[in-house]
Amino acid sequence: MIGRLNRQGWPNLLFALPFLLVYGWLLVYPLLAGMGLSLNRANLFGGARFIGFENYIRLFRDATFLQALGNSLLFVVMCVPVLVVLALGLALALNRATRFAAFMRSAVFASSVLSVTVMTIIWRQILAIDGGLLSHGAHAIGLPALPFLSDPNLALPSLAAVTVWWSLGLPMMLFLSALQQVPRSVFEAAALDRATPWTVFRQITLPAITPALVLVTAYECALQFQVFGQPQLLTQGGPNGASRPLVLYIYETGFNQWDIGYAAAASQMLFALILVAAFVPQLAQRLWRRA
Amino acid sequence: MRRRVFLTGLAALSGCARPDPRPTITVQRIFGDCRAHVPKGGAPTQNINGECEIITGLLDRFEAENPDIRLNINTVAWPGYDQLSAQIAADDAPDLVTMHMAVIPDYQIHGLLTPLDAGLKAQGVTPDQFTPVARRAVTMNGEVYGLPFDAWTQLFHINMNLFAKAGLVRGGEPVLPRSAAELLDQARRFRAATSKPYLVQSAVNERAAYARNLYTYLLSAHEVIFPDPHHIRLNTPRAREVVGLFKRIHDERLTTRDLDYVAATTAFINGEGGVYIVGTWMIGNFDNEAAQPGRPLYRGYRVKPYPALFGDPVLPAFVDGHAWVMPKKARTPAQERAAFRLLKFLSVHEGDWTRSGHLTSMAEVVGDPVYQAQPHRRDLMAITSYGQGLPTDVQRQFAIQAMLSEELAAAITGIKPVEKALIDAEHRINDMLTNLS
Repeated sequence: MIGRLNRQGWPNLLFALPFLLVYGWLLVYPLLAGMGLSLNRANLFGGARFIGFENYIRLFRDATFLQALGNSLLFVVMCVPVLVVLALGLALALNRATRFAAFMRSAVFASSVLSVTVMTIIWRQILAIDGGLLSHGAHAIGLPALPFLSDPNLALPSLAAVTVWWSLGLPMMLFLSALQQVPRSVFEAAALDRATPWTVFRQITLPAITPALVLVTAYECALQFQVFGQPQLLTQGGPNGASRPLVLYIYETGFNQWDIGYAAAASQMLFALILVAAFVPQLAQRLWRRA
Repeated sequence: MRRRVFLTGLAALSGCARPDPRPTITVQRIFGDCRAHVPKGGAPTQNINGECEIITGLLDRFEAENPDIRLNINTVAWPGYDQLSAQIAADDAPDLVTMHMAVIPDYQIHGLLTPLDAGLKAQGVTPDQFTPVARRAVTMNGEVYGLPFDAWTQLFHINMNLFAKAGLVRGGEPVLPRSAAELLDQARRFRAATSKPYLVQSAVNERAAYARNLYTYLLSAHEVIFPDPHHIRLNTPRAREVVGLFKRIHDERLTTRDLDYVAATTAFINGEGGVYIVGTWMIGNFDNEAAQPGRPLYRGYRVKPYPALFGDPVLPAFVDGHAWVMPKKARTPAQERAAFRLLKFLSVHEGDWTRSGHLTSMAEVVGDPVYQAQPHRRDLMAITSYGQGLPTDVQRQFAIQAMLSEELAAAITGIKPVEKALIDAEHRINDMLTNLS
């Protein structure tokens, strides 16, 4: 690398310098500052005192944090596989040049355009036990309405369902773009060989779109670990913390309790978790190739 | 070409206005936005005694009477402290802010609020004009950090039409229980007679009401909730008794279930239950409903303090209040004078504000016949003398309230046993309080 730089000349690095400066200022510095803050007892308005790893030790004794950690993991497990499979299925179904497919692609993507506030207002009207759409539907067929947002067993799955509906557009588009990169001639050759649709999918489509699959999985893992708006607006993390994910926990600790050092420690845990979750699909892909 | 440049320049300049020479102060408040039905300079077209309608009208009136001051009004969602903290951290604090008295210590202890004594005194407002409860709540280290604007408490809002149907009206007065057993008995009778739950409660996403219920019946028993500013004590026989009562009410379906605040308020307005436990701020709205022919509350609304259920030495009432505070920031002398003129105006018109249902925090207004003549005041006025708040040296009272309410809701709805919920609440709150910086 250094040798190459010497050959090409340092001045070339200047082209990347503006980006590196902004990246360092907006990303690297806050990351390091957050790490430093997590080693302090501090409130929103200063008063920082270095306490080493005490915040981290406290986190692992904090039942609310551990519950939020579990909720976040569960939420990712509930959302990501469903999102990937549904988005891939939709992309396969809509990867054709018809008006209906074009309309459906736009319709599915439209939900992603909504802001989290608008989306949660819509879903509140659907899920609320008092006058919600599902509640009316249940009453109409003589069933009791379910408290989707206030039952500890239903709150997190409800948030996951809402999130899948909201987030389906982008992964579907990523899969569509990957599918459109696969040369048509390969599919034509498979058709000549009378390959079944399942064989075509398994032997041609899937290998061809594996990079997109890894990307979507890693991206959705990172995104769903950061879920915040949906629980904050629909359940406020309740009941009894059953739908409180890590980011909501960090927000409450930092901004309601002003315990900003402790919140920073929880943020570092989340960062580590996202890092691992983002690399696992890529690692799995490499191991798969080697095998 | 020249002509085009000249015209473009002229068009750009026409967008510029002369800077307003008047001092501008930013007022940040909660209570909602209702400009759609409160025209500037006119009366509200609906709900004239609502909090939002009154405060909007008052600030409009101040602007009209003080044309030399420009108000920049910023309405934030309740309770507004996340925004305020972010604004202060970014050195962009408003000039005056509504703040619950229980929250003032959080900001005062970090030196973020301006003491108001001298400025208020210059306007003729002195602490001896406040009620003793309000004065104690806004005074820290001998200095006043907020202008009290009201005192509020949670109350029993009663649908008298349903009460009458259940035989719970005697001599025009609602019959309220005098013990926990009597409450359960009356609630069962009410349910049998009306097929509706006795209580209407906000239970979903509720961050305050359950904690306030518990505070009410702990304070009336002289229980020491905070042995010191860094510790709470909750797992006591009285606390278990109070939470157990609400759990029983829930278990026997004597209360509404799974309603959030908006749904619970709508349910009470629509006659879906007998007693709605909510604060003073709803009195004006419910009175408005009670004046509408054909509505379930028509000529059938009363409001009463919490009944004494446990034979306590004092009557039950947990009281807090709204105040106006002035965050520390650089201001011109003209802006500072303008801010204190607005505070003076608000103190003079505190009586108007109490039309919303809030109790007064000004000693003079307590004895004012106009105030006393307002609906329900005779039933509620005594609360300003016997109501109790939490100690002012306890920080993060809103965070405590949220944590406690979450645990109590879990206990009442049967997600966890009462004792475990109280122990968990104690643990969470003490962990926060012992790690304050």
